[in-house]
Amino acid sequence: MKKKSTIFIIIGAVILLLAGFLISRYNGMVTLGEKVDAKFSDIDTQLQRRTDLIPNLVNSVKGYMSHEQDAIEKVTSARTQLMNASSVAEKGEADSALTGALNNLLAIAENYPDLKANENFTTLMDELAGTENRIATARKDYNDVVKEFNTSIKQFPNSIFAGMFGFGEKEYFRAQEGANEVPTVQFNTTE
Amino acid sequence: MKYRRFSLILLSSLFITLGLATACFAMPQPTDRFYINDAANILSEETENYIFENSQKLDQATKAQIVVVTVPNLEGKDLESYATELFRTYGIGDKEKNNGLLLLLALEERKFRVEVGYGLEGALPDGKTGRMQDQYMIPLLKENKWDEGIMNGYKAFFAEVAKETGYDSDMSPEDVAGEEELSDSIAAILVVVFYVIMFIIASKKGKGGIIPGGHLYGSSRSSSGGHSSGGFSGGGGSSGGGGSSRGF
Repeated sequence: MKKKSTIFIIIGAVILLLAGFLISRYNGMVTLGEKVDAKFSDIDTQLQRRTDLIPNLVNSVKGYMSHEQDAIEKVTSARTQLMNASSVAEKGEADSALTGALNNLLAIAENYPDLKANENFTTLMDELAGTENRIATARKDYNDVVKEFNTSIKQFPNSIFAGMFGFGEKEYFRAQEGANEVPTVQFNTTE
Repeated sequence: MKYRRFSLILLSSLFITLGLATACFAMPQPTDRFYINDAANILSEETENYIFENSQKLDQATKAQIVVVTVPNLEGKDLESYATELFRTYGIGDKEKNNGLLLLLALEERKFRVEVGYGLEGALPDGKTGRMQDQYMIPLLKENKWDEGIMNGYKAFFAEVAKETGYDSDMSPEDVAGEEELSDSIAAILVVVFYVIMFIIASKKGKGGIIPGGHLYGSSRSSSGGHSSGGFSGGGGSSGGGGSSRGF
């Protein structure tokens, strides 16, 4: 009789231990997953700020660069693309496109000394550059956490029950290769 | 004998690896004068002392930290990520308030960057930091007037941070920090008193074992928030990459 109850106690203890182990693993994954989402919303905030700044830039540039409709148009359409993007991959792609279009516009702006001397324009440029840099930082932070999360769900023993709990791999926020390079300027006023 | 030689080899190889690891990315580590690190060696003693003393006073009073760093070059990195990494490695500003500010000069690249901690972004938006650089620093730096340029800029940014944090140079550190420090120490005293009472009760019952060792030390320490009183070190602040960059 006494022996039987000892066995029950041992089994109970093992079950409790196992349950505790599972719960802590589960909570660990939930916490990390939340961290990933939080970091992504950091990127989102900055992307939003960027889309908000573009109309101001376009307005201040228009007067000076009336001949550069093409470059301005590219920026506006890239902005629309970014606003309509929903998935992480789409956003990454749209953001890269916008960076490219902006860099192109700014390289052209180099040829307009009046514009460059405009204080409003300089301030806007600083805000935009700052936002771009914040996006880069937020992207790096986000990708670091995604890596941590993806590694954790792929590692034993989490790998056994990550699927069971419904945890899948998270997507990296990729910048298109070369998006940050300053493009060569095709300076034509006739178009 | 054999064993000793083996451990010697092991030790030396460990040191070599450590040396290599640190040599890979030789970002200047914080000095014992935390607020100023003239790694490019272009500033005069007076400028360094001025920055050190004022930043120290500001830090003690408001926990806001202004750090000036000059580097000979960026080692191939871009200015922005270098600045953000340095900012975070140093942990400039208070951990909760993130009220840090970094002024970074890269000599070889002839670039200057102001990096703003999250908590100061309201007072110092990117556009403003750019304008301040243009106004106070860049013309002087263009003529290689390092001392004047840095000093001028430092004073301008210091004034902004002082305004934001409500710091007045006539103030003694206690005036601003008093309240918080006091509540911290009261909390620490309460914790100690609590444990003493618990201990007395426990020992009266004849069992002295209910207090886990080291707990007392741990809890009283955590109340100081990692901001050591001798304090020339970062408060653990972070930056999200705000600020502005200029070439000169």
